[in-house]
Amino acid sequence: MTASQPKEKRFVSPLQIAEDQMLIGLTLLGQVGYLFWRTTGYMLRLQIDWAESTRQGYMIGVKSLVVVGITALFTGLAMSLQISRELVTFGADTAIGGVVSLALVREIGPITAGVIVAGRVGSSIAAELTTMMITEQIDALKVMRVDPIKFLVVPRYTAALIVIPTLSTYAMFLGLIAGIFIAKTAANVPPEAFLDSVRQTILDRDFAVHYLKSIINATVIIFFSCAIGLNTRGGAEDVGIATTRAIVWTMISIFILNFVVTSLTYAPR
Amino acid sequence: MTAEPVLQVKNIHKAFGDRKILEGVSFDVYAGEMLGLIGPSGCGKSTLLKIICGLLAPDQGEVIRRSDDIGLVFQGSALLNSLSVRNNLALALDGRNLTKKEEDKIIREKLELVELSDFMYASPTRLSGGQQKRTSFARAIVNDPKIILYDEPTTGLDPVMSTVIEDYMIVLSHQLSAASIVVTHQFSTWTRTTNRVVLMFEGKIVWQGTPEEGVKSDNPFMQQFATGSREGPMLTAKI
Repeated sequence: MTASQPKEKRFVSPLQIAEDQMLIGLTLLGQVGYLFWRTTGYMLRLQIDWAESTRQGYMIGVKSLVVVGITALFTGLAMSLQISRELVTFGADTAIGGVVSLALVREIGPITAGVIVAGRVGSSIAAELTTMMITEQIDALKVMRVDPIKFLVVPRYTAALIVIPTLSTYAMFLGLIAGIFIAKTAANVPPEAFLDSVRQTILDRDFAVHYLKSIINATVIIFFSCAIGLNTRGGAEDVGIATTRAIVWTMISIFILNFVVTSLTYAPR
Repeated sequence: MTAEPVLQVKNIHKAFGDRKILEGVSFDVYAGEMLGLIGPSGCGKSTLLKIICGLLAPDQGEVIRRSDDIGLVFQGSALLNSLSVRNNLALALDGRNLTKKEEDKIIREKLELVELSDFMYASPTRLSGGQQKRTSFARAIVNDPKIILYDEPTTGLDPVMSTVIEDYMIVLSHQLSAASIVVTHQFSTWTRTTNRVVLMFEGKIVWQGTPEEGVKSDNPFMQQFATGSREGPMLTAKI
């Protein structure tokens, strides 16, 4: 027997890598678009499995309550501390409530809930669906003439559309409580003055943007993780790769789309 | 056996990229017949099975089915772990608009056939490998299909459980008078359960006949496959 020859290293140009990555990205966007089209089609025809949607609501929403709560509370505490410190320096103590709530309603609430759910739920959906692909469970559904999109994606999206905006509201509410606590302890602003400032600053439009962002986050999390899960083949290693891909794509998309919505709704004219 | 085949596989070609998987495979399967699709790993058996049940499209050729009711027993059972045994079977009944009572009657009947009616509401994760395989059988036959496909039904099972599964296959085939295809490379499975075997190698049919003929055949491919010899046209293995 001859000794094994070292593998020849093939040079791949950065241009080729960029082209390959762009193709992978465009393919994924196509898969996401197709999934969105088919899913919303079922939903508009009210072909929704409500029992499974409720189960998914529990998995996505109720099981995320603690982690979203802790994150929102501590983000609210840190942010309120920073804002209070600066506003006290300028003698604008009474504006603390308004500034804190603006940040919470417009950015922190939807982003916190979105990122946490993307990490916790998006990764788990991608892993679950990839495992189902690898273990031929998706093929089993197709042989039984059950559409995997109707069976797996529609209940998840239905649940996410309800629970992710609810989690955003919950994150916003906890952040506000953190703000009231910091305003009272660090800047000696009474809760009534804090809430007065909130009422004077926050507009209905801010809540509308808040919910718009939450719905976009729900859409991004479900469709990217389902598209990646339903289009991955291979073995155990691919489950890990699919999970990482799902988190990376959903996180990046959440931040980009958050900026797009903010720039379209709040940019100075 | 009826004169008209329930399933006709005509000149199937399939490639993944540059790799040719199937090259002109053709055969017919009749009602009540169990055809063994045998061959070494990677010869295209499972790909052909996926084409037959419609999970993959052939590049060329066609599959003519006299019935759309197909049951497929997967190699790894492929039960949905989020559902109970009952609901795994109920999924296959989804399009028939049955009441829950009617569904339960059919499901219990099929589970009794594979001696698993006590596990109707259990999660598949609580079943042993053999029980999962039997549940997969029950799911495949829940609609009394006219075509049953088995993908490596005894791979990974101990010899006793393999015999049990083979017995179920024989019983079900007789009860349903279905046209069955068994993809396997297990000697006992194709010799015990099938009426006819098709030996595949590198995407082509290299021999076909009854299992008895296969065991005695002097065809070099069949001889090597049946005896498990290292020397032969399929592979000359060296340690």
